[in-house]
Amino acid sequence: MNAFDHPVTLGITAGIVLLLVITPVIFEIFQCAGRLTPELRRELYARYFSWLILVPIMLVPILAGRLATILAIGMLSLLAYREFARATGFFRNRLPSAMVVAGIVLLIFAAADHWYGFFMALPSLTVSALVIVGLLTDQPKGYIQRVALAIFAYVLFGVCLGHFGYFANDRNFQPIMLLILLCVELNDVFAFCCGKFFGRRKLAPNTSPGKTWGGALGAFVLTTALFAGVGQFVFAGTVLAAPVHLITMGALLSFTGQLGDLVISSVKRDLGVKDMGASIPGHGGLLDRFDSLLFVGPALFHYIGYFVGVGLDQPMRIWTGG
Amino acid sequence: MSDWEYKPAGDLGLSPTQQLRSLGREAGLVSVLAHGAWCALTNGYLRTAHGFRVRGLEHLPTEPPFVVVANHGSHLDAVALAAALPGRLRDCAFPIAAGDTFFETPVTAAFAAIFLNALPMWRKKAGSHAMETLRNRLESDRVIYLLFPEGTRSRTGGMAEFRAGIGMLVAGTAVPVVPAFLDGCHSAMPPGARCPKFGRITLRFGAPRKFCETTNDRAGWREVASTLEADVQALRGD
Repeated sequence: MNAFDHPVTLGITAGIVLLLVITPVIFEIFQCAGRLTPELRRELYARYFSWLILVPIMLVPILAGRLATILAIGMLSLLAYREFARATGFFRNRLPSAMVVAGIVLLIFAAADHWYGFFMALPSLTVSALVIVGLLTDQPKGYIQRVALAIFAYVLFGVCLGHFGYFANDRNFQPIMLLILLCVELNDVFAFCCGKFFGRRKLAPNTSPGKTWGGALGAFVLTTALFAGVGQFVFAGTVLAAPVHLITMGALLSFTGQLGDLVISSVKRDLGVKDMGASIPGHGGLLDRFDSLLFVGPALFHYIGYFVGVGLDQPMRIWTGG
Repeated sequence: MSDWEYKPAGDLGLSPTQQLRSLGREAGLVSVLAHGAWCALTNGYLRTAHGFRVRGLEHLPTEPPFVVVANHGSHLDAVALAAALPGRLRDCAFPIAAGDTFFETPVTAAFAAIFLNALPMWRKKAGSHAMETLRNRLESDRVIYLLFPEGTRSRTGGMAEFRAGIGMLVAGTAVPVVPAFLDGCHSAMPPGARCPKFGRITLRFGAPRKFCETTNDRAGWREVASTLEADVQALRGD
């Protein structure tokens, strides 16, 4: 089946490409209208140029198919964990760190095998293993902190992000994932733009001084509307095409997306670092860019799973059988 | 044993290519595995092809930080020194390698950083800042530096005078410095040779020395260099 057989896949891909083409034109129109200060213009262009690289990295695996998507999400999980481990210094605990990596690799395997039981069993099994592995150094001082850090990293970057990988087992995953990615990323853009124009009251000044209630609420309204508008074509023919579901999912996405952003901001403030890394020029680390995805995956996966199921009509346990 | 303390990697905030060349670089899981595999491979090769023997391992301190200084006559030197270290010390052992030879291009830099775990020393622009960074790290981290204080590979097989740079790292500190003599590396693969020839290689470690009382100035650095040079020379005849 061709990726572009689904009209929404084609539409969103074309829309994203179009957006990348017209964005500089919009910047220039605002510039001519005298609405952009030189600093704002520089900031907007810096973000724009990094999107020119990020968009193909996100788009190509999804369009390439199930396995490519699962592997790309797996790679994102591993690189996000690497960034976190290096920012906290947890990577120096070789064995527990290797255990987190092994747990993430097993999640990728479970998603690739389409083995839901194993995918859902892994969090409790890996967490247990991390708690036990922490004992092996026989250093009770700092034990809880070390183990808690390992579990925090595994759940956030392995389990939460891993839900996007498992999504790829659904027949309809391409339009669903493109819609989610489009909305999550535009949620950030909406929050940024609304914050610039209507932002007065700070949302969480100690955690993320740049965020405002105006930006958050503006993004909430716009993202929910966007998700509901495009979502009716993605979920057409299912119970989720009902407006109440579309609005709920859109609201859930905007809310959890902004929370992911705040969580990583809080981590950075606690560590006293500006960025989690420097792998994306102009953006900082991967986690600085993909933080909003963290909770959107599990939230929408289980919402969709509860009402219509994810990948139920597709072959299961492809490699392990059973 | 202590409570958990957040301590970001020494190379945090640098781009991937800058990380490879950073003096604060710390190995992650991938480099640890790659470096471990490299050491196992080279150890096997040295033992099979060169009858590699290590004497005086008991002189190595049980815990980092410490410095190993050796004579330098071949690219095999750093390989042999790293391969001779016990596994538990391997991850924190950094050969200090010539930046202009090993870190010029991204490919060689990636090889030197990931497989050799080397840190760059830029010979033409080795400023006091780089030496200070290395010295600070030696005093605060669990690191082992593998150093060749002659500064370049010997063209004759004989030993050149040790440069004062080693003194800048350890003068006035309690960090032990272990002298080592590599016998046979130069004849197996002298500068200019593309492939090594068969021939026995022996590595001898000597008793460590500390320079707590030595002043951290030019005279002190010179004293450290000449003392260690004599220590390494003494191992030649053992």
